[in-house]
Amino acid sequence: MALASGTVSYLRFYVAAPPEGFERVYADQLGASRFNEIDPRSEVEKSSGWVQFDDAFAADFDPGTLITPSGYLLFRLRIDTLKIPAGTMKAYVDQEAQKLCKTQNREKLARKELDQLKLEVKKQLRIRSLPKLQLIEIAWNIPTGELRLFSASKTVAGGFVELFEKTFQTQLQAVGLRSVLWLRGMSEGEVDSLSLLEPERFHLIPR
Amino acid sequence: MEGGNDKSAERFAFLGREFLTWLWFEAERTGGGIDTLSFGRVGVEFGQRLSLETGGNVKEGSTVQADAPSQAEEARTALRTGKKVARARLLLDAGERQYQVNLDAESLTIAGAKLPTMLGPKDASLLDERLRLVDELEAILDEMYVGFVKLRMDEANWGPVREAMRAWVAGGGA
Repeated sequence: MALASGTVSYLRFYVAAPPEGFERVYADQLGASRFNEIDPRSEVEKSSGWVQFDDAFAADFDPGTLITPSGYLLFRLRIDTLKIPAGTMKAYVDQEAQKLCKTQNREKLARKELDQLKLEVKKQLRIRSLPKLQLIEIAWNIPTGELRLFSASKTVAGGFVELFEKTFQTQLQAVGLRSVLWLRGMSEGEVDSLSLLEPERFHLIPR
Repeated sequence: MEGGNDKSAERFAFLGREFLTWLWFEAERTGGGIDTLSFGRVGVEFGQRLSLETGGNVKEGSTVQADAPSQAEEARTALRTGKKVARARLLLDAGERQYQVNLDAESLTIAGAKLPTMLGPKDASLLDERLRLVDELEAILDEMYVGFVKLRMDEANWGPVREAMRAWVAGGGA
């Protein structure tokens, strides 16, 4: 999936040209939407934000080195998820409920007591757990406006677009069969005339 | 841009399927190469997995897995029943560099792309090189697609190709 190594999968987007002196602005904007760790004592199950391209634990962006010599802004989207799997929760809640019933010499717990126990168990398990960490690379070619998100997941893409547009206050447009023609130099008139085309039938056997 | 506009993306999905089907036809007709302006003749082979689908709301699909899926009888039969190529594993030979990529016809999404290895894994400029290779791979695919669309929009030139493709689908050679 990744740009840095292995096989590569990505989704393509287009971003309008940046404003004058964008390096300082973009560095500040990336910092403002930086990744924040999940506090295991909280109820938060998911956190996402920007981190440096080569350090998943650093989210300071220096305007002076923000753009590579080849014109790219490289950064990563970090998504942490701290969610106790249902099966794990059930096993620990059952264990605690049995302990409680035994010490109190009871058959079973009341619904309210069970709900309270679930909350307690969840708190304890969250403190003992590490979040699942996802890192998604982003390569934004500033001179051409082409941006690549190195993930093929539609869920990741949806979250990315939302956070990107909020961060940079600009629209992100997915590149597809029609827009790629315009990006590769076809005129708007030519691209518009695509609407006159209808699907071809190459087979001779009527379906 | 159609981007997130699903209706527009759907409206032109047929172009992507026609493009990959034409690529198959053209690769057979020319003996495995597509001429491009920027990269000269690019070798094109279909590898490992080929998916064909009908268009429209209710899609019927066939997937062929073989060393040379475009040569498989199942793939030919799918073409004869009106299916077009929806996803393909392409092996592209651009001079000194060879790429492998899964291409989705409806979105032109690039997945599982294997880039040629040129630098060592610890070379500081590896990332720059991989970005350049991704640029090149994308440019090759885009150029072939743009070439197809221009041909498709030019009825005088497209007409004979359409007839040749129909004959090819019906069982004649490319």
